[in-house]
Formats: sequence, C-alpha cells, structure tokens
Amino acid sequence: MKARIERDAHLENLQAIRDFIEDACRRSGIERSTAFDLKLAVDEACTNIIEHGYAGREPGPIGISFDSGPEEVVVAITDRGRAFDPKSAPAPDLGSDWRRRPIGGLGWHLIRRFVDRIDYDSDARAGNRLTLVKKVSPAGRASTRSG
Amino acid sequence: MEITTEQRGTVTVISIAGSVDGMTAASLIGSFRAQVTGGNIRIVGDFARVEYTSSAGLRALLETVKETRQQGGDLRLAGVQPDVLRVLELSGFTHILKLFPDIESAVASFPA
Repeated sequence: MKARIERDAHLENLQAIRDFIEDACRRSGIERSTAFDLKLAVDEACTNIIEHGYAGREPGPIGISFDSGPEEVVVAITDRGRAFDPKSAPAPDLGSDWRRRPIGGLGWHLIRRFVDRIDYDSDARAGNRLTLVKKVSPAGRASTRSG
Repeated sequence: MEITTEQRGTVTVISIAGSVDGMTAASLIGSFRAQVTGGNIRIVGDFARVEYTSSAGLRALLETVKETRQQGGDLRLAGVQPDVLRVLELSGFTHILKLFPDIESAVASFPA
C-alpha cells in the first residue's frame, strides 16, 4: 500500500501528519502498537524539521510517503530546510537524576528506539530525505481488516 | 488537547485529554507554569485520557518536575496509558516521575 501527503512545515500540521500515518497503517492492516511507533517517529522527525530545519526561514514543504510491504514499512520524509544528519544527534542522558537531567534532546533517541532503520540523504538539488524503516512481523499485522 | 484544573485540598489536579505534541505542549507547559507561579507546587497530572505524547510532552513534564521539586513540591502522574507509558519508559522518565494508577492514589501520596 502506497500513500503520500505534503504539508507546510507548521506545528499545527503535526496532527494531520499523524492522522495520515495512522490511517495508512490501518489500511495496511498494521497492528496498533506498531502504528503508534511509526506515528511517534514521524512526528519527532517532522517536529525537528519544523523547529530546526526551517528555523529562520520561510516554512517550506514536508513530503511524507508511506510504502508498506509484507515485511516492512518504509516512510520517507523530504524537506528543503537545513540539512541535519541524524548521526550527528548527541546521545541522550537517560540515567541522571532529575536535578542533572537536561530538558530536551530526546527526539532522535525516540526515533531510534521506535523504528528499525534510519537512512539519511541530503543534496542541494533534491533537498533532504530521511527514510524510516519499521519491520512488520506476521504477528504485527492485524488478523482482521476493516474498510 | 483539553486541559482542566481542579484543586483537591493542597493538591492541584491538572487533567489532560488528547494528544501532546510540539504544537499542544505549549498550552500544557503554560498550565503547569501558571500553577507553580501561583504557589501550587503539589501537582497531579491526570494522564488517563492522554492517548499520545511526543518528546515535547516529556520536556513539559521534566521542566515542571524540576520547578516543583526545587520548591519542595512535586509533579506526579496518574492513570498513564500503555502507549504513553512506553514513551516514558524508553526515555528513562519512569525513574524520575512517580506514577500512580489513578488520581485518588496520586493525591493521597502527598503528605498531609
């Protein structure tokens, strides 16, 4: 199942982006908790694009394409903001007590925990492309489909 | 997202319904800050109707935990649902925040 949407990089559009992922997962027969993971990972990635990628610029488009196969779901997120390679995101501090725990810095950590593979590519002509891959086990598919 | 606030003795219960994300977290943090500024530093976040949170919600929680505890109070959560609990666990927040099954037990956990 393939689907695609494009939205401007505004925080108000996060709900519509999550609804798109949820709907595409439901139509692909993907189990609810797997859909939650994908929704969260895509939300975090788009929030970063909105808050950092397009920071200080006119908010441009974010394109999201969804492609579900028998074993995995591939979501590609494209934008024309500032490039940011996920490999450069610092590891979060998960162990400190509340006094030392920094506020923020968890977005990329959650993306890494909620999907199985992350690819990133950026070039001046095509823009940035983040690909999130989530494995779908046979048990990860709902046994009944609706719609 | 909807937020309602209710005073129960010395404890302020802030009930949230809906999704907490980069857009809606601003009003959640605004509600928390308003209570702390007003001297209400014993807060229960009623999460029974929160179906989703991104890291934006975690920022709001951590900021409020820090501000209340520094003044001798606390932010405690009630009724966290399984999906949201998983986000809290994977972020190490279940070691920081005190969680309770419902509002009553969270309110009762504050010393009289």
